[in-house]
Amino acid sequence: MPSLVLVLATAAAAGAQTAQPLTVTSAALKADETIPRDYTADGRNISPPLQWSGAPASTKEFAVICDDPDVPMPQPFVHWVIYKIPGTATGLPENIPIDPATSMPAEVAGAVQGTSGFRRPIYRGPAPPPGKPHHYHFKVYAIDAVLDLKPGLTKAELLEAIKGHVVGEGELVAIYERKPAS
Amino acid sequence: MISRRDLLKVAGAAAAGAASPLERSDAPHSPSTPAPHPTSHDRQSSARRPLEALTADEADLLTAIVARLIPSDESGPGAVEAGAVHYIDRSLAGPLAPSRDAYRGGLAALERYAVSSRGRPFRELSPTDQDSLLIDLETGGATGSGAGFDGSSAAFFALIKAHTWQGTFGDPYYGGNQGFVGWDLLGYPGVRTAVVPDDQRLGTKPVPLRRSAYDSDMFNKA
Repeated sequence: MPSLVLVLATAAAAGAQTAQPLTVTSAALKADETIPRDYTADGRNISPPLQWSGAPASTKEFAVICDDPDVPMPQPFVHWVIYKIPGTATGLPENIPIDPATSMPAEVAGAVQGTSGFRRPIYRGPAPPPGKPHHYHFKVYAIDAVLDLKPGLTKAELLEAIKGHVVGEGELVAIYERKPAS
Repeated sequence: MISRRDLLKVAGAAAAGAASPLERSDAPHSPSTPAPHPTSHDRQSSARRPLEALTADEADLLTAIVARLIPSDESGPGAVEAGAVHYIDRSLAGPLAPSRDAYRGGLAALERYAVSSRGRPFRELSPTDQDSLLIDLETGGATGSGAGFDGSSAAFFALIKAHTWQGTFGDPYYGGNQGFVGWDLLGYPGVRTAVVPDDQRLGTKPVPLRRSAYDSDMFNKA
C-alpha cells in the first residue's frame, strides 16, 4: 500500500509539473502593446478576441482569466473569469455577451463566466487609476477533465477547482494607461 | 441591466416599508379602487408633465437611464411607466434639492462619457451598450475616464438607482409608482389594515388593494 501511495503522489506531482506551454495570441491585442480602447472602460468595454494553440490532446476544457497585478492591492485585480470553454475551441471570439440571457457563441457553447473584481460575472476591461501603465495578463488554462464548475466562481475558486487538472498554460500580456485629467 | 431576480431581492425590503423619506402635501390623490396598468398613452402623458427641477434634456436622458435600470418587459411595466422620473424631478424641487447639483453634473458627465467611450449620446446607444455603460458607472470604471464625474461614477450611479427604486416602489403618494406598477411587480398588495384567515393560507397570493397608505384614515398626513 505505501508503494501505491507513493506512485499516486508522484503521478500527481508530475501532473502538476507537466503543464505544456500554450501560445496565446489575439487579432486585436499585441503583446506588451497598448490595448485598443474598445476593450477598455474608455471605449465599448467589450472582451477582446483570443486565440491559443499547443494544447495537449488530453484537453477537455479551457479556462481564461484576465488580471492586473499593477494595482495597489495585495492581489492582482481580476477583470475576467471564464471557463467551461469546450476543449475543441481554439480561442474566444470578441464581445462575449454581458447579458446572461444571451447565448454564448456556438464555438464556445457551454462556457460560463465567473465573478470579477468588479463583482460582476462579465468582462470589464482596463480602467486603471492614472499614473503608470498597467499590465493585463490574459491567461489560458487547458484542463484535462470536465469538472462540475458552477457559474460565478472567483479566480481563486476557479484555480482551486482546476488544481491538478491543468495540462497546458499560457498568457498574453498587454498594457493600458490612463493619463491624468488635465 | 439589473436582473429581475436581483432587483426584487432588494426592492422587496424597500416596498415593505414603503417609506420614502419624502413628504409632500401636493401629491396626487391615489385611487382607492384597482387601477389598470398604464398604457403607452399614459406613458407619453407622464413625459409631458411640467418639469419642476430638471431640464427637458436631463429628463429625457434620465428616462432612458431608468428604462434600463428597471426595464419594461414580460414581467410588466418598469420604472418609466411607474413615473420614476416624475418622482425624481419633483423631489429634486423639494426634499431632494441637495441632490440637484449631483444630477446636473452627473448627467452631463454621463453624456460626455457616452460620447467619448461609445461614440454617441446615451439615448442613441443600443440597449446592450447602454447597459454596458451603466455597469461602467456602477463599478467605478468610468471614474477616471476624464468625463468629469464628481468623485466616483459609482456614487452617481448609486444615487440614481436609489431614487429610481423609490420612484418605482415607494408609495404613490410621493409621485411615483403610478398605477401601482411597482407594487404589482413585487406582488405587494399595499398596507393591509385587516388580514383574514384566508389571506394567511400558504400559497395565497395577496389581492392588490391599489391604495396608497395615505388613503387610510389610520395614517396621518404629516
